[in-house]
Amino acid sequence: MTKQKILLHVNRATQELEAAPNRLLLEALREDLGLTGTKCGCDDSSCGACTVLVNGRPAMSCLMLAASYQDAEITTIEGLAPGKTRLSELASLQRAFAECGGVQCGFCTPGLILTTCSLLEKTPHPTDAEINEALSGNLCRCTGYTQILESVRRAIELMEKESAGEVVRP
Amino acid sequence: MSAGSIPNSPVGSRVPMVDSFEKVTGAGKYADDLVLPGTLVGKILHSPHAHARIRRLDASRAGQLPGVFAVVTGKETPVKYGILPIGHDERIFADDKVRYIGDNVAGVAAESAEIAEEALRRIRVEYEILPAHLDLEKSMRAESNLIHDGRPHNIEKEYHHHFGDVEAGFKAADLVRFDRFDCAEVTHAALEPHSTLASFDDDGKLTVWSSTQVPYYLMKTLAATLEMPEENVRVIKPLVGGGFGGKSEVIPLELAAAVLARKAGRPVKITYTREEVFYAHRGRPRTIVELKTGVRRDGRLTAVEGRVIQDGGAFCGYGPVTMLYSGQLLNALYDIPNVKYDGYRVLTNKPACGAMRGHGTVNVRYAFETHLDMIAAGLGIDPAEIRRRNLLKPPCVTINGLRILSYGYPECLERVAEASNWSEKRGKLPFGKGIGIAGSHYVSGAANPIIRSDQPHSTVNLELDGEGTATILTGASEIGQGSDTVQAQIVAHELGIALDRVKIVAADTARTPIDLGSYSSRVTFMAGNAALAAAREAKRQILNAAATYFDVPAERLVLEDGRIFEAGNRAKALPLAQAVLLAAKPETVLRATGSYSTPAEARGGKYKGAGVGPSPAYSYSAQVAEVSVDVETGQVTVERIYAAHDCGKAINPLTVEGQVEGSVWMGLGQALEEEMVWKNGRLMNAGLLEYRSASTLDSPEIRPILVESADPEGPLGAKEAGEGSLAAVIPAVANAIYDAVGVWMTTLPITPERILKALEEKQRRTGS
Amino acid sequence: MSLPAFKLVRPRSLDEALEALLRYGPEAQIVAGGTDLIPSMKQRLFEPRVLLDVKGLGELNYIRFNPEAGLELGALATITEISESALIAREFPVLHQAAASIASPLLRNLGTLGGNLCLDTRCLYYNQSAFWRESLGGCLKKDGHICHVAPGGNFCWAAYSGDCAPALLALEATVQLAGPRGNREIPLAEFYVNDGMVRLRKAQDEILIGVRVPARNAGFEGIYQKLRIRKSIDYPLAGVAAVMRKDSGGICREARIALTAVNPAPRLLPKAEALIGKEFSAGLVDEIAHEAIRTAKPLTTSASSPEYRRRMIRIFVRRALEDLWLGRRPRDGGAKKDLLSN
Repeated sequence: MTKQKILLHVNRATQELEAAPNRLLLEALREDLGLTGTKCGCDDSSCGACTVLVNGRPAMSCLMLAASYQDAEITTIEGLAPGKTRLSELASLQRAFAECGGVQCGFCTPGLILTTCSLLEKTPHPTDAEINEALSGNLCRCTGYTQILESVRRAIELMEKESAGEVVRP
Repeated sequence: MSAGSIPNSPVGSRVPMVDSFEKVTGAGKYADDLVLPGTLVGKILHSPHAHARIRRLDASRAGQLPGVFAVVTGKETPVKYGILPIGHDERIFADDKVRYIGDNVAGVAAESAEIAEEALRRIRVEYEILPAHLDLEKSMRAESNLIHDGRPHNIEKEYHHHFGDVEAGFKAADLVRFDRFDCAEVTHAALEPHSTLASFDDDGKLTVWSSTQVPYYLMKTLAATLEMPEENVRVIKPLVGGGFGGKSEVIPLELAAAVLARKAGRPVKITYTREEVFYAHRGRPRTIVELKTGVRRDGRLTAVEGRVIQDGGAFCGYGPVTMLYSGQLLNALYDIPNVKYDGYRVLTNKPACGAMRGHGTVNVRYAFETHLDMIAAGLGIDPAEIRRRNLLKPPCVTINGLRILSYGYPECLERVAEASNWSEKRGKLPFGKGIGIAGSHYVSGAANPIIRSDQPHSTVNLELDGEGTATILTGASEIGQGSDTVQAQIVAHELGIALDRVKIVAADTARTPIDLGSYSSRVTFMAGNAALAAAREAKRQILNAAATYFDVPAERLVLEDGRIFEAGNRAKALPLAQAVLLAAKPETVLRATGSYSTPAEARGGKYKGAGVGPSPAYSYSAQVAEVSVDVETGQVTVERIYAAHDCGKAINPLTVEGQVEGSVWMGLGQALEEEMVWKNGRLMNAGLLEYRSASTLDSPEIRPILVESADPEGPLGAKEAGEGSLAAVIPAVANAIYDAVGVWMTTLPITPERILKALEEKQRRTGS
Repeated sequence: MSLPAFKLVRPRSLDEALEALLRYGPEAQIVAGGTDLIPSMKQRLFEPRVLLDVKGLGELNYIRFNPEAGLELGALATITEISESALIAREFPVLHQAAASIASPLLRNLGTLGGNLCLDTRCLYYNQSAFWRESLGGCLKKDGHICHVAPGGNFCWAAYSGDCAPALLALEATVQLAGPRGNREIPLAEFYVNDGMVRLRKAQDEILIGVRVPARNAGFEGIYQKLRIRKSIDYPLAGVAAVMRKDSGGICREARIALTAVNPAPRLLPKAEALIGKEFSAGLVDEIAHEAIRTAKPLTTSASSPEYRRRMIRIFVRRALEDLWLGRRPRDGGAKKDLLSN
């Protein structure tokens, strides 16, 4: 199968790669662009570990042909905190997941954080039911979700404080 | 010095995991994220038959395909292995027989996945199909075409224990009850599929990066099966995306990648598909539990007789250990004066079972705790009360030789009863709503190692430099449970330094000292104790050096907040960094080592099988479940779980609660929906769409309650936290269903169809 | 897991798409959201030489309503767009509930209405990896000659497992198909063939472009009830869509009930007509619910047993009718209560 040039807009930069048409976005991100924060957890598109944002909406990159998403704005987990080196420098959402135990093994974490990111963009003050609904396509096998829910609540709290001008440090 | 008395100590604080930055940013590397120049893709040819003899295998056409660098078959992998010394029955690739659909027949390494897959298609195998043993009760009566030589009737192992005199116990009883339970097979389904990268350097030394819970055992097995000296094998564990026991023995791809890399002369990476993860399995076996229990009118147990049959799949794996845990741990929760146990591990033509969270105890505990509620109902005793009447009285040694020191179970029972308002609700909720209670427990590490040896179970090296930074070198395996963080907290606490001054280098067999791995909930207790000992040793050296500097006895000195001073005189302080250099002289790095071995008194009795079950300490859990049952649809909704867990001391309450919640949740999955479904030896649901792990919308509120019984031998009092809570939730739900609608659920998972069937049977029986 | 090789064609207009379909013939397969086709291609259930990615046809992405044409939905409207449409939630609640219940938010963001309506039929012996199917020797629907669900038969029982179709059947929707011979519009009920292999009355060179719901069905009360094991991700194991219009005296003036996931095609319940002109009676409701299990013929194609799925069809039909007729809030049977209140 002949390779073709593919241009992807990932994390606000345009990336060029050579790939065959059957290249999945998941494979392109991980193998061609080295963005290994996007994970592969299943083969039947049921787990959500490969979630990325496509024009701000969460979707599974294991379902997407790289060549078909050349016009889309793709955000991966690496795009949320470029250049940061410490927990305290991160945005509220990522910090909250660490501080509230929303992370255990970490394999579902990038997907969950991106899905939450999209939720809070659209609905800054979701109810618990809305949070659970929004996250219901991202499986976690470690936490039982209790501390994930707490992480999202904490992120909302931190974001409110930040927008009110308070300096919040962990 | 007790935990918490040190100002600013991170022990007892809700500290984010030390590796959380790399996990929330996606920067952290798991095995499949790693690449080396020239890495080839490895793929494995699996058996399409449950039981067959390999008549002929021709792989020549695979090797001729351009882009293929190695093809390996069973002929080249003669060395047998297995996690237990008594169970070396596996090979990297099958010898003359395949024993389950998915068994490993050959491997290829190629430039791309496409080429590797094409190469697999070119391997010709001629099979002679043999009758397959698929039903465990039939398999254990089989006479011919047995799965392994030397295993008559396909029985891998059987154990028969008798402590006290059960017949006398039954005679002394006012009520004797018999029940049978049947628990479906479940699997770990960690979100990260297994992955291994193997590479040989020019000197023939092998390095393997793998998603493993047991780097040390993997290193030994690689050396044995590749027939290499152990010092030429290095295993590094990168981040691991969950294990739950599924990565706690050597998994075929780990050896296959190495053997292919050696033949190809290039690095080889194998990452399992999700389907292959299901075939690698090592999960919790289908288990039939029969219990006969005698009890006096006042609720005191007089005797328990248990018969347990487990469907172990095609290989031994951890099977005998699973069997023994099932019997041995009947004793550590309650005071049972007479116990008889008959356990059978049966081979069938299915993927091998192994250790899964709550190893060996879960199904028997579900059965016993449900059975106990049936007994309580028969006697008219409150289920919480019957548990109180059968408590152990520690310190004690149970009749099968388990030494119990700390025992927070009574407090767990009280705390959940109080939090759930038990006495106001039990038996008083409207029809369709119910509340149930149950208990469980687990070991804090196995007192005896898998491979008998006198070496410590855990060793931790500590290095302190002139910057005041402490580096922990530990073999313990962080798999998401927070073990790195716990060790860092203990060291920071003991040295009186901030947590961010502690660095950790873990699970690299070439750099870190021996630790047996992350299984049987041993890490906080054993590696934690080793870290504590190392920190204490470092502190001793530092204070001795400082004593010379201050010219006062070391006992008068205090180490706190990175400074050393004489008690009562904070003004004149020596910075820790400087003291480290004084102590290290003439070196610039101060080194200390600590290790942990289990005390002889905790290692159990002398009878056959006595080695499994003993632990230096046991965790305890009591849980209350609140459920509602739709009697028309049979659907059960778990509204809430109260889970009290005695972890000895919560070094990190955040991660302890995370472990308790995760265990409870995983137990709920087994209780209600998870099941490996088999039809004629074929797994019908080898994917996460059909093997249903609960989503947020299926997961109830879990309220963890931490009980701290301060174990005298635990590091700062700590015990197990990551497994013990799993078992209690299953019977708590079953018992709550009885409270709700009056039926006993004796088969797992408790599906709506089974509820309806039970309700119909009840109606037939009682006419109501 | 990787995909088989194919040539990717990305038409920019419907004409280009139809032209490509004509050019490549049966070697071409249409993909939009990919939520059904891509996992199936990984399992090698489909290995098309040409993949026609129609996502670029912006002209097929619309949700609009006018009193003449009724509700018009483009085939490329995503499931999320349908479930978030306030108009649909208000005027066509059964469709809203069905769309909001599909799979998970991640899948709804990619999945399209067209894809959901054209969903391949599903079976435990079919939706498996190539290795798995080869080890069994294939099945009637793919690479084999035996049906493992009903051995001896030569009929494929794989179940249609979409959620929008029953809702749209109950709303008397029509589908619009474009092809080289021009456009045609047929009732949705005629679009399906109750055969797990034939599935659709759609020519290979045709594209489903849109769906229309007559304006007269706006404002019907509706309920979608769905059996599944998890409240997210799962395909339905059984589903019931019901709509009703009653007069001020509580007399049923119009009612339709459709079933999904229990036959190779979604099916309207013919007996629902018996409700018209009647006032509520528990006996009548029971009768209709009982009739429903004559239409539902599930086999062991999915996780729950056929007996249980039929039983649930009966309960869902009864509950839906009771709730619609007596004006109760729908019970939890798949529809998301918290979303209904929005």
